[in-house]
Amino acid sequence: MRHAVVPYPDVALGVECAFPAPQRAFGGRERRARWVRGAATVLAAALLGAGLWQSGQGVYVHAKAALAQALMHRAWARTLAGEREVRPWSWADTWPVARLLVPELEVELFVLAGANGRAIAFGPGHVFGTPLPGETGNSVIGGHRDTHLAFLRDLEPGVEIIVERPDGARRRYRVDWMRVVDKREVWVLENEGPTRLTLITCYPFDALRAGGPLRYVVVARAT
Amino acid sequence: MLRMPGPSDARIATADRIAKAVLWVFTALAVVSTAGMLLFAAGGARASTLVPMKPQDAAGGTLLLKSNADGGTFAVPLLATDVEIRVAGLVARAVVRQRFRNPHPDWYEGIYVFPLPESAAVDHLRMRIGERLVEGEIREREAAKAAYERAKQSGQRATLLEQERPNIFTSSVANIGPGEEIEVELEYQQRLRYEQARYSLRFPMVVGPRYIPGTPDAALLGTGWAPGTDQVPDAARITPPVLRPGADVAPVNPVTLRVTLEAGVPLAAVESAFHPVQVRETSPSRREVVLEGGTYAARDFELAWTVAPDRAPRVAFFTERRGERHYALLMVMPPAGERIRASLPREVIFVIDTSGSMHGASILQAKEALELAVLRLGPRDRFNVIEFNSGASMLFTDARAATPETTAIATRWIRALRAQGGTEMAKAVGLALRGRERPDRVRQVIFLTDGAVGNEDALFRLIAERLGDSRLFTVGIGSAPNSHFMTKAAQAGRGTFTYIGKPEEVKQRMTELFAKLESPVLKNVRVEWPGGAQVESWPRPLPDLYLGEPVVVTAALARAEGEIVVSGMLGDAPWRAVVPVSAAPEGRGMGVLWARDKIAALMDSLRDNAPEPEIRAAVVDLALTHHLVTKYTSLIAVDRPPARPETVPLKSAALPTNLPDGWTYDAVFGELPQGATDARFDLLLGALLLAAALLAFGARRRLAA
Repeated sequence: MRHAVVPYPDVALGVECAFPAPQRAFGGRERRARWVRGAATVLAAALLGAGLWQSGQGVYVHAKAALAQALMHRAWARTLAGEREVRPWSWADTWPVARLLVPELEVELFVLAGANGRAIAFGPGHVFGTPLPGETGNSVIGGHRDTHLAFLRDLEPGVEIIVERPDGARRRYRVDWMRVVDKREVWVLENEGPTRLTLITCYPFDALRAGGPLRYVVVARAT
Repeated sequence: MLRMPGPSDARIATADRIAKAVLWVFTALAVVSTAGMLLFAAGGARASTLVPMKPQDAAGGTLLLKSNADGGTFAVPLLATDVEIRVAGLVARAVVRQRFRNPHPDWYEGIYVFPLPESAAVDHLRMRIGERLVEGEIREREAAKAAYERAKQSGQRATLLEQERPNIFTSSVANIGPGEEIEVELEYQQRLRYEQARYSLRFPMVVGPRYIPGTPDAALLGTGWAPGTDQVPDAARITPPVLRPGADVAPVNPVTLRVTLEAGVPLAAVESAFHPVQVRETSPSRREVVLEGGTYAARDFELAWTVAPDRAPRVAFFTERRGERHYALLMVMPPAGERIRASLPREVIFVIDTSGSMHGASILQAKEALELAVLRLGPRDRFNVIEFNSGASMLFTDARAATPETTAIATRWIRALRAQGGTEMAKAVGLALRGRERPDRVRQVIFLTDGAVGNEDALFRLIAERLGDSRLFTVGIGSAPNSHFMTKAAQAGRGTFTYIGKPEEVKQRMTELFAKLESPVLKNVRVEWPGGAQVESWPRPLPDLYLGEPVVVTAALARAEGEIVVSGMLGDAPWRAVVPVSAAPEGRGMGVLWARDKIAALMDSLRDNAPEPEIRAAVVDLALTHHLVTKYTSLIAVDRPPARPETVPLKSAALPTNLPDGWTYDAVFGELPQGATDARFDLLLGALLLAAALLAFGARRRLAA
């Protein structure tokens, strides 16, 4: 025993443990009631604030994702007209490199340069170092499973994906296979083999939080 | 409990009840929300069963296919592996014997996918049937495959060895008779890994799950979505049995392994990291290592050893004569242990990427790494820091001495850096490499970036043009840095590439890098060969020699005479060593090493958009001369007399692969991009909080009443 037991009148016991604390220590019942009301107000306000802030964050992610794609239309039009690396807004660190269409699912997306967290908040991102979408080789695109690339779960083998390149040329792909891999399985990025599109997003689709080790990979071969 | 009796006791009791009610409501809310979250998560799990597999299987790379791989049992030939490795100096030569045994009354074809060390140069294949031995020959891949198919159809015994990826091979053995045993013997050669005064040899015992037959390896993608996808390349009818984790199957493929270690110099310590071994000392520089019995192929074998420390770099040199040419392996060994006393003062230019793509964890890691680096500088060192996003700016107008004042200024400056804007790397490269060269200083440029740039090739050219005597080192930050840029930029800058994947790794990786950078053992390493232009050597250009690293050069020479002069700056003093060629001990396999280096360089050039037909022709030519298995060439052995009567059918079976103990993943650097946000969680939590707020307001109103 580390703590000595000190004999003490039973008066002191219980006071610290009871809930709500007995009235004895306080001056008047009025004061206590006001205190409880005040505490409830503060608690309610705090909960309201936290709730709004938390939902706001969630809404912000989706709003940003949707708004950015809308802004991209103009940048893409300028890209098709011959400009290079058109930034959709002046301080952007990325630019659209391709337009992705899935007619069957009515999906239209602008693929951005770079698959870093910053870029893919605004749209699916092309992984640097892999061929640009629509070019020969394995073009890899990463994106969020709960915003832009949520449609990946609905893809089936045979579904057509169309890629529009900055020069306006279009290339058609058909979904070949889908699978779940560990995030360390970087062979997915390899350039050997037929010309294809590799779409990567987080898995499982319904997970609440980001950061799991699994990725869902869809490979579509050029037709 | 003591209570003071009073008139308002009833009111207190009411308040008490209300407070209790509020407490109950919150408890209930907490329970409900927890249950809700669990349901939510369970819903997710339910949804994931829509695909016919469990995520834990997926981590192993199992296919999401409509294949019926589980249906039916497979009669499979058995396999045992014997490995014999001989180590001489920096080179290991291994003989791997795979014994395919067919316990069944049918004729079988066995197919086995297996790993070899990444740098392995496979140059021999032998097939042994009873007493007979058939030597394999090297052919172009398609020709070898066609020959194998012909032999298979006509009932001849045949073995085909193909390279799937630089470290993954497939051996196929056709026509193993009932109760028969066929032994496939292959030989490979590799250079050992040497770092931090420690040599290591690795033998991968098992193909990681990602490599099981059925993984749609990029090279096999041709078969596509068809049921054929989950099959080994050349056996369209077989579905390979895979030992699933948790499956109640005894491990297959027992392995015996023996290593003969001849270090050339007295050995200090020999140890095996993961397996019990017996080590026998036959001389101060020689050891016999035997893997203890009963080991199954479930974990990679690693043997590491250290040699007695020495002070000055030593030069080791071996030659091998093959036909008209002489092949040589030259090795410059740095002294181990003690720090070089007279190391040169350095001028270190740090370049940090503060573009928008670095936002978040990456910039924090980069800043932490940079601060550590600045604080490590010595008083004789000079430094400067450059940041770049849409533009580039420098901390000081010119490099300054690293005094406590300047480092304090730098630290404050670094802490204030924010990631935003574009990635105009060329400006930063220009600023970093514009410094004039000073012979009394080592100039090092350290580049911290995620390499998220599109104009890589222009940057490589810029680096190569401006480099002068500076050295450029890349430090890759973040979970998915552009590996291609990092490695190639470091190569163009004659430096090294360090990858920091996780925040916890920052300190260790940076400390390792700086320990290395602080002691350049040899600068401006040059090798002058006798006979001048008649020499073709790899790698090009030669990197500096840092503490803990040897420089290894392979070369093809027209004549083996004269002297080789190896020179460089050791600290601030010129250093030079002369190696008489004729005195070189005769080694084995130097030609193979040289060819492997050249093939690797050729394959590398493919990434720089070299024309594939030309590269292919060059690689095939080298591979045929040196008997090497490459992406374009395979080894094939065919036993002439037919063994299987034409009327008896041949069945095929791929050999099951053990799953590794745990997951010994040989840190391929980099990961796949992450693709998820916390939005869903935020929304759910937000909704719960708002509901709680409503309840709290209600409770407050009741309290007030």
